[in-house]
Amino acid sequence: MKNHEILLMLAIVAVWAVLAAVYAFVPSLGMPGYVRVWGGGALLFLLLAAVLALAGQGRSAGETPRS
Amino acid sequence: MDIIPQDAPVAAAPGRTAHGLTVRIRTLPRPDKALLNLLFGAALLALVLGLAGGLLTALARAGALRFYSDDAYRLLTLHGVSVFFYWLYLIQAALLLALAAAENGRGLALRPAAWAGAALMLTGFAVSEWISATGTPLLYDGSPELAVDDPRSVGVFALGYLLLAAGLAASAASGIATLLQPRRRGETEEFGAVGFALFAWAGFLIVSAIAATNAFLPGLLWALGAGPFPADHGTEWHILFHNLHYLPLMATVLVWYVLTEHLTGVTSIHGARLSKIVFAAYLVFVPPTSLYHMFLEPTLSDGVRVVGSLLSLFVSVPTLAAFAIIVSSLEASARAHGATGFLGWMRGLPWSNPAMANMGWAVVNMMAGLTFAFVLIQGDLAPMLSDTFFVPGYFHLFAVGVLTQTFLAALMVMLPALNGGPLWRPALLARMPALVTAGLFLFAAAGIAAGTMGVPRRVFDIGYGGLAPAAWPVLMALVGIGASLFAAALSVSVYGVVRTLLSGRKAPATDLTAVAWRVEPSRIGTAPAWTGPVSIAALVAAMYVFTIAAFQLIQSLPIAAIGGGHGH
Amino acid sequence: MPDPRHFTTRRGFIAGLGFGAVSLYGAWAAYGAAPLPFGHTPSAARASEPVPQVHDHGGSAAGSHDGHPAAATAESFRLDHEAFLRTYGQPDGSVDPHAASHAGGHSHGTANGSHADGGHGNHIAAAEPVTVYLMAQRFAYSPDLLRLKAGQAYRFRMMADDITHGASIQLGMASRIVRLRPNIVSEQTVTFTKPGEYLVYCTVYCGQAHDAMQGRIVVV
Repeated sequence: MKNHEILLMLAIVAVWAVLAAVYAFVPSLGMPGYVRVWGGGALLFLLLAAVLALAGQGRSAGETPRS
Repeated sequence: MDIIPQDAPVAAAPGRTAHGLTVRIRTLPRPDKALLNLLFGAALLALVLGLAGGLLTALARAGALRFYSDDAYRLLTLHGVSVFFYWLYLIQAALLLALAAAENGRGLALRPAAWAGAALMLTGFAVSEWISATGTPLLYDGSPELAVDDPRSVGVFALGYLLLAAGLAASAASGIATLLQPRRRGETEEFGAVGFALFAWAGFLIVSAIAATNAFLPGLLWALGAGPFPADHGTEWHILFHNLHYLPLMATVLVWYVLTEHLTGVTSIHGARLSKIVFAAYLVFVPPTSLYHMFLEPTLSDGVRVVGSLLSLFVSVPTLAAFAIIVSSLEASARAHGATGFLGWMRGLPWSNPAMANMGWAVVNMMAGLTFAFVLIQGDLAPMLSDTFFVPGYFHLFAVGVLTQTFLAALMVMLPALNGGPLWRPALLARMPALVTAGLFLFAAAGIAAGTMGVPRRVFDIGYGGLAPAAWPVLMALVGIGASLFAAALSVSVYGVVRTLLSGRKAPATDLTAVAWRVEPSRIGTAPAWTGPVSIAALVAAMYVFTIAAFQLIQSLPIAAIGGGHGH
Repeated sequence: MPDPRHFTTRRGFIAGLGFGAVSLYGAWAAYGAAPLPFGHTPSAARASEPVPQVHDHGGSAAGSHDGHPAAATAESFRLDHEAFLRTYGQPDGSVDPHAASHAGGHSHGTANGSHADGGHGNHIAAAEPVTVYLMAQRFAYSPDLLRLKAGQAYRFRMMADDITHGASIQLGMASRIVRLRPNIVSEQTVTFTKPGEYLVYCTVYCGQAHDAMQGRIVVV
């Protein structure tokens, strides 16, 4: 099952998003760069998780899975 | 100690099988081979430049060479820029593309993006080297405050890294598309452990490019008159700096997986899913653990300091887990083949293969490096150790001993397959990692001792008008001797790899020593496999010893301080 | 059906090994350096230190974390630093915060600063820390020679004037480092327990003459 791969990607998204949110909502921490980098990273990995979910659906109907 | 019996099956390199790494690389389309040769060559050029700059720096710090101050710091800048940015990022981009193409089995997808990425990175390489050699020396972090009156240096320096970042992102995009192709063709529904690791690594490379952009775009804009002075560069740099530490470490572990299978036929006995969790753990654990780099920052709040200190303990979780997976898989497989003896099974590994030798010694360096990394991450010790030569003392164990030797090991396997020629003098190359490690251990021991005594990181003349302790120059001379030894041995390895890259097809490639230890799952794991747990127990014991020694030292100093080196 | 594998080759054991280094928390706790209340005991250094904790008045260009305008803090530091040099400067170029009090002394302008009590030798930890100032700038410290007393607590107020510097005090077997960011005031309360001449040097690369950036603290 490829679901566990998507779950792992989403776990990364969750941790990074929480990290970015903490730095975004507690400005006294003084590190806005964390919001940009890890927030951007969370969005990227969300996109990658979506790509993983969709990738298997794009194959043509005539092809047979190898494994 | 016993070893694997002589009647145990020993096979030719697994690369000769239909699914082997080398066969897949050998059959890559010609444009992909050309691109990979270009990237591998550029990466090696960066390594050579960085190695030369580093050796000259070490000799100057040892008092064996004299440079004018600006020239000395330009050398140090060239060293850092070449090794920590261009060698490590170019080789990562090249390995990502090579391994992704091999996974795909049909070459690279999004080939124009891969070529555009290479062009951007090589342009960045040229820009960075030029400004490092001619501009105001900014060291590898390119701090704008060092050149407030020289915006050109700041801007061009930032431009180099931004081009590198853009190229990395483009290369990673090609790698991701390549890895997804088998799914899109319906040939598979999920990744293997290596495929998933490559996918996550590629994503992390893009995040690293975002971090580089975040750190250096403000400098470029300021230099162009389009933005304010980047006063927060130090903080933004820390984010990239932390990525710079752990991204290549993830790549290293991934290469260990690949090479272990190539050299022994062994894959994880714990299943691909655990390996995927470990590789995902790199991304989960590494970003939150970055705060320990900032323990000396006067603006770091107490809350962040406490959280950062706690999280830093988790920084080695994925690396140690991956180490345990690989070692237990190897040991259990060896024992299933009849190996006996506590550590004797290791003698059955194909040590005469230089890739194996490089990988094995890389593990030794990792254990030593981790020991001292965990002394450094303790917040209360930062006022004694941060910004001293302790830092380069320990991190060269990683940068050279672990990362560089591992990536050279990968090249020793891939280049003969890529170009069809033989590996240059494998018997000689197999002896170099022990010499590299010996030099590194001398460098690290003397450097860590010097740093603990307070020798600063980036000072060439440590005399201070006769006020510095007499031991300082002695220790730095030992650092210079260690650096010379590991640089000489590493140069032989690099020369061998470059010769192999350039050899073309003048002679047929021959398979080097490998073993075939793979056995059916039912025979695996009935015997104990103590090497992994004992190694980690020894590592933790060493961490305890050196951490306690450091605490004892800081408490024995003739000073009582409140404030911990940072402004509470 | 029981797992035929030896426990050293089981998945859970292997995954647990990854967390091996977390056990270093025990060493941290033993020295009072654990970040959580669990296992936290005051360290020897902290327990023996009688002076109250002092706080940083730092801030970035946009404003400090404690809400004080950074520019105002930096500017007041500069004024205090100038007053400190003027008041306690000696003919040989050194600065002795105890000398002026012998001569009658006067405030050097700090809000919470106090003076030395007349310098009665090596008393351990006088009740009130004496405030001293250290400004770091390319490529020197101001003052570059401080005369202090062993056993007396000093509240070091430090700031970089131009770019980032370090201020490391060489103490024999090791050094004690502070990183100084421009226009951010850092405070640290320090008590020298032994007389001696201590080298102060920059630990953050600051430009061409970084190697030459040094000062001295003479402790009697």
